[in-house]
Amino acid sequence: MAVAKKPRRKALADTPRVDAQPALVLHQQPYRETSRLLDVFSRDHGRVAIVARGAQRPGSQARAVLLGFQPLLLSWFGAGELKTLHAAEWQGGIAQLAGLPLLCGFYLNELLQRLLPRDAPNPPLFAAYFEAIQALSLLPREPGAEVEPILRRFELALLSSLGYAPDWRITAEGQAVQPRQRYGFEPGSGLTPSGTRAGCPGEALLALAAGSLEPQWLLQVKPLMRQMIASLIGANPLHTRQLLIDLQRL
Amino acid sequence: MAVTPSSLNQLIEALRVLPGVGPKSATRMAYHLLQRDQGGAVNLAHALEYAIATLKHCRHCNTFTEAEVCDICADEQRDHSKLCVVEMPTDLMMVEQTLAFHGLYFVLMGRLSPLDGIGPKDIALERLLTRASDGEVQEVVLATNFTVEGEATAHYLSEMLRARGLSVSRIARGLPVGGELEHVDPGTLAQALVERRHL
Ligand SMILES: [Zn+2]
Repeated sequence: MAVAKKPRRKALADTPRVDAQPALVLHQQPYRETSRLLDVFSRDHGRVAIVARGAQRPGSQARAVLLGFQPLLLSWFGAGELKTLHAAEWQGGIAQLAGLPLLCGFYLNELLQRLLPRDAPNPPLFAAYFEAIQALSLLPREPGAEVEPILRRFELALLSSLGYAPDWRITAEGQAVQPRQRYGFEPGSGLTPSGTRAGCPGEALLALAAGSLEPQWLLQVKPLMRQMIASLIGANPLHTRQLLIDLQRL
Repeated sequence: MAVTPSSLNQLIEALRVLPGVGPKSATRMAYHLLQRDQGGAVNLAHALEYAIATLKHCRHCNTFTEAEVCDICADEQRDHSKLCVVEMPTDLMMVEQTLAFHGLYFVLMGRLSPLDGIGPKDIALERLLTRASDGEVQEVVLATNFTVEGEATAHYLSEMLRARGLSVSRIARGLPVGGELEHVDPGTLAQALVERRHL
């Protein structure tokens, strides 16, 4: 036994470890007999798949900590695609989401699951996600338009940090964006002048290019964001968007 | 590789439909049934077949029952003005055990889970709406789980039911009964502070 144990110890010591990493759980599901499989967004390691062993057992303490939309400090190890959770510490500071802000939180998580590849560190996007969740947690259960700037700010951060955001000052044909003209988004090429009222006003695009993320501009870019995200998402629509639409129809 | 007879393989595969049962447990169960308890195995097979053949969903509350209407729904003594909504039949049994609720139930047989693609059309929302709009129900008590999915479901249900003019409440959460602040997990304590009530 002792002979067999030694090399195993050594292998464990060589296993990559991550300690007390700021992270949020995007999604989780039962895994194998008594475990849970976590889809985690961490600050320095990006999206990571982590198994929480024993977390599915009745009375497991881990489930009270492994909550979605809650800042955690996670420690894990493992060299493969699937890591093993070593410790989870609840950080606090953000009230649990409820009501419409909760559904918006699901929307952010679905965007990340669909667009952010695994194991690609993206600290700026993590910061944007953290800020968005925090902002959502401060809203009342039934906010009005206050959710919109929060969602737009996150969508913008997502698109630009993944390299999908175009230069907001220049059209697909290389012309300067005009403040009074409206624009749409053509997948594969870029901004195109739009004749319809649904297009985004050029002045809003120029404000974005100048780094202004004021609500008045963010509210105007919604149709454009939707076109851009739809082109990235592909044929499979976002479940959370459908849920928000269903909710509106009630 | 040892050669496993195909009927044994089939049994192991079949046992894996159970939640939380992986190949190892399924193999253990199969060997136990075949080696130690063949009578029990035959009983299990019959009970399963009988249950599948006879059980249906209660016409009122959607839980499993052999009759058109389950015993709880058929009980005239219960408070017909209160309707408690739960995710699963096991949740109904837990609430029943408390003896703290004397109204009727509705079992969703699931929850909304946007990230798993489970939307309003995939659980019994239409039936709940019909059930809650019978004119007798005065209050709908939402007792879905305090998971993010359970909370999302509660929000959707409350919007849906309140749009029809129904009064909706949500079960409370906080410290466990007899719970000491010193020993409770910080997330629970934080939420208890957020959801504190005036006295
Ligand atoms: Zn019933």
